[in-house]
Order: sequence, then structure tokens, then C-alpha cells
Amino acid sequence: MSVDIQDLHQQWVGAECGSSSYDVNTDRLLAFANACGETDPRFIDPEDAEFQSTPGFTTIIVSGQGSEALPKDFPQFKGRSIDGGKSVEIHHPIRPGDTLTGKQTIADIYEKTGRSGKMVFVVHRTEFTNQDDQPVTTVDWRWITNLVED
Amino acid sequence: MTILDLHSHSIKSDDGRAKVENYCQWIQKKELPLDGIVLTEHRQFDATSDYRDLEDRFGIAIMKASEVETDYGHVLVFGVNEDLVNEFDFARIDNSLATVLAAAQRCGAVAAPCHPGRVNVGLFAHYATKGPVPGVKLVEVYNGGSRPGEDEFSETEAAKYNYLGFGGSDSHIVSRIGYCATRFDDDITDITDLVAALKSERFEAVSFRS
Repeated sequence: MSVDIQDLHQQWVGAECGSSSYDVNTDRLLAFANACGETDPRFIDPEDAEFQSTPGFTTIIVSGQGSEALPKDFPQFKGRSIDGGKSVEIHHPIRPGDTLTGKQTIADIYEKTGRSGKMVFVVHRTEFTNQDDQPVTTVDWRWITNLVED
Repeated sequence: MTILDLHSHSIKSDDGRAKVENYCQWIQKKELPLDGIVLTEHRQFDATSDYRDLEDRFGIAIMKASEVETDYGHVLVFGVNEDLVNEFDFARIDNSLATVLAAAQRCGAVAAPCHPGRVNVGLFAHYATKGPVPGVKLVEVYNGGSRPGEDEFSETEAAKYNYLGFGGSDSHIVSRIGYCATRFDDDITDITDLVAALKSERFEAVSFRS
């Protein structure tokens, strides 16, 4: 399968992938912070005046979806796909009691070459807002396919 | 004399995990013998970032270049300017090496293949199937990300084609900066000096890998 990145970019960047809702509570924040080995009281002490989520907290909401996070009719590439990791931009603290809404879109599609050949990167973006419609985080998740071209 | 790491990536590259400030802190803390670094972000030229404050704080020259992708593998471009950015699409992975070399020359820049001994993305892998490209003058013979044998292959082939060799770490994480570098006879403080020094051919690749 030959992949035309420019066509893909034109057709799919900006496409909506769906949305999800997530209720934040103290137990979830603590579990993630402790799993990360955090020691800062802001993240592990619910009595701390600034108690909030660790910076990477919203990545767990995005995790585990695999290619199912992409639109159903998104092209299937021939090749081996891997999770290219996530980056998080923090806009506002997340606190217990918040209800987050994550709006998911395809933010970018690009290609590069490496030792193993040609790769396609799909950047899946989730923009989280809280119950006041205030942006809290933006999570960019890169889905990489090492293309096998005919 | 000046020692520069000519090949590094910051978080401006999609696979870079190092902030420029952290590179500076690492160089200072480890007392690495570097006078400066060159940021060669993938498939782009970062025209907006301003690192002058870091240069002043750490006494390290921080220059900006690019790593572009061509039909003969990856190529570093030093001395990128507005004219050159308009000559070809830095974001593409299928630029013609001949085009990149010619455009760089026209615009007063220097284009040089990096990690030429690497499969798929190295110059010499492509030479094996497509033959040499006129206009190549220097290649990165020491690359901090090379696997065993790659740099040796690069050196052998560079000698065969009479190419000059330079070095760079290809660092994507802080602790890799300075693995390989280039020692210049001249004093170099900015990208204009660097381009002139590369054209002068008074330099050699050095490795600080233990």
C-alpha cells in the first residue's frame, strides 16, 4: 500500500474522533501519583491546600485505546504499529470533584524515515476541559506505523 | 580552537526529550569539553526560539541548524536562512539530495549527510545501490547514536570518496550530549562563523565516548 501523506493530511487533520467524560476523585489522583512515585505534597496529600493531579494524570484516560481511538473509516496502514508516547500540556490544575470532558481530534499526520524504514505518525489530540469549560490539559498521543510498502 | 557538538535535538523535535537549558546544565555539571552545541531539529528550522539568555548564563554557544530527509538519507544543514527555507520543503522526507546540496550552496549554507554509515537513512547505504552524488564534501563520520560498526563504515567510505569528516552526538536526551563533536582550528561564536569554518575545512571529528 502506498501512502500519500499530503492526501491523508488534507483529508484527516482536524477530524473529530469522539469525546469522553471522566470523573476525578481523590482515590484516583492518589493512586496515580503513588504509582508515579511522587513525593510532592501537592500530589500525595489530600489535606494540602494545593492538592491536585500529577501532570501526566490525563494520559491514563487516553491510554489503552490503540488504533480504536482513530475514526472508524481511518485508513489501515500495512505495517507494524507502536505507541509513540504522549506529551501533556498543562493549562489548569485538576482537583477532586472535577468532571473532565476530553474532545479528541487528529492534530497532525506526518512521515519520517529511520533505521527501520518509512514511518507514518498520527498525532491524536485530546483537549480536556473541566465542568466550567476551562481547558485543563492537552494530551498529544503519537501512533506510529512502520510502513511495509508494496 | 573551538569544540562543538554539531548534531543535537531538543524538545522542538518530535522525538527529542531534552530541553536546551538541561543540555547546558549537563555540560556545565559534567564539565564537558564543549564550547557550544548546534540544534538540528528534524524536518524543520526553528526560527523563533531565542537561546541568547542561556548562552550568557552558561557561557555556551547555542546555534540552530536543521536535519532534513532526502532520497540519500538524512542531511544536516548549517546556515539556514529565509532564502534556503523557500528553496525546498524541510518537512518532506523525499527531498532530492542533489537539490538540497545545490540550494544550500546557492544560499551560502552547508549541507552535509549525517550518520552516513547507517542503513536506510545513511548516505553510503544509498551509494551502494544508486551510486555517488556530486557535491557532497563532508559527512558526519562520528555519530553518538551509531551502532557498532556504523562509524567505522562511515570513516572507510568517507576516505574512499575523499570526504571530510565531522562529529556530532545526535543527542535526543540530555546525557548523550557531547558523545561526539568537532574540533575546529578557528574561534567560533555564531552560525556565520560555523559555516565559514566548515567551508574552510580546518576541523576534525572527535569522540568522547568512553
